[in-house]
Amino acid sequence: MKQILVFVLFSSILCWMMFAPVYRHVVILRQALLQKEVDYMLEVGASGRYGYIDAEMIRASRERLESKGFNPSLLEYAVGTTSGEDATNPAKPVLRGTGIRLSISYPYGKLFAVDRLIGLDPVPGDVRMGASGVKMSEYVPDM
Amino acid sequence: MDKFLMMVLLLVFHMRLMALQLDEERAMHLLFELKHAVNRAVHAAAQQTDAALLAQGVRAIDEARAEEWFLDYLRANLRLDEHLAPLPGSPLREPVDVVVFDVINADETFPYHYRNAEHGLDVVLYGPGVVAAIRAEYPRIYRFISPIGWTVKGAAELVPGG
Repeated sequence: MKQILVFVLFSSILCWMMFAPVYRHVVILRQALLQKEVDYMLEVGASGRYGYIDAEMIRASRERLESKGFNPSLLEYAVGTTSGEDATNPAKPVLRGTGIRLSISYPYGKLFAVDRLIGLDPVPGDVRMGASGVKMSEYVPDM
Repeated sequence: MDKFLMMVLLLVFHMRLMALQLDEERAMHLLFELKHAVNRAVHAAAQQTDAALLAQGVRAIDEARAEEWFLDYLRANLRLDEHLAPLPGSPLREPVDVVVFDVINADETFPYHYRNAEHGLDVVLYGPGVVAAIRAEYPRIYRFISPIGWTVKGAAELVPGG
């Protein structure tokens, strides 16, 4: 009887213990995937061949992240430059010397809901995790 | 009673493991972030062509501007303030220390073998370039792991075309 009582008292903590690490891991992993995606897109976008991050690249990126388990419609991309000009126009690439800035964000969703079991207030679902980076463009127009 | 005690001990042990795993995993990803920030900073620094020397046909790096841009890109990528202390939203908690910043300019003979025994830097450059290393500390959430600090190194060459 006593053991059952102990089990009932501890059951929510037990559930939390079983699932919280998994959700924490998912948070870290998603964050890392966003960071890797930013790194990759900047590497390609700021290279001498492109000098821009256009809608087509963002579409391809959404597809890549979808295959990793993200919901593509919730991903938000922000592309900018250090000088304030537009970096999304393939007809007018950002010239060498100007940095291309990219950030991708994604909501936490229900990943912290399991914290309710131990009485913690979960992080609201609409708060967004994000990754960003700035890289100098290498694009030089053909003579 | 002993089962209850066992349960509590198990809880503590499990929480400890969780904390360790969380901190170690975050530390690993932070290292990647730092490395990319250093890479982008040296890359930006190495693109600072000296216009006066370029007019004479020498591709060299403007050292003052290179350092300025290096710090600028480091700040932008790691969200640091003027004194390289973290701003809100930065992945770090302690200020970053730039331990090495060297410009290998056009007056050297290439390939140039750059060595810095103190920080373990060993780079071969085939053109004018920038070598840098920063020192950063991982902001621990829990005290279960010993402090983790890295010297993150990076090197970049002046790419042809400008």
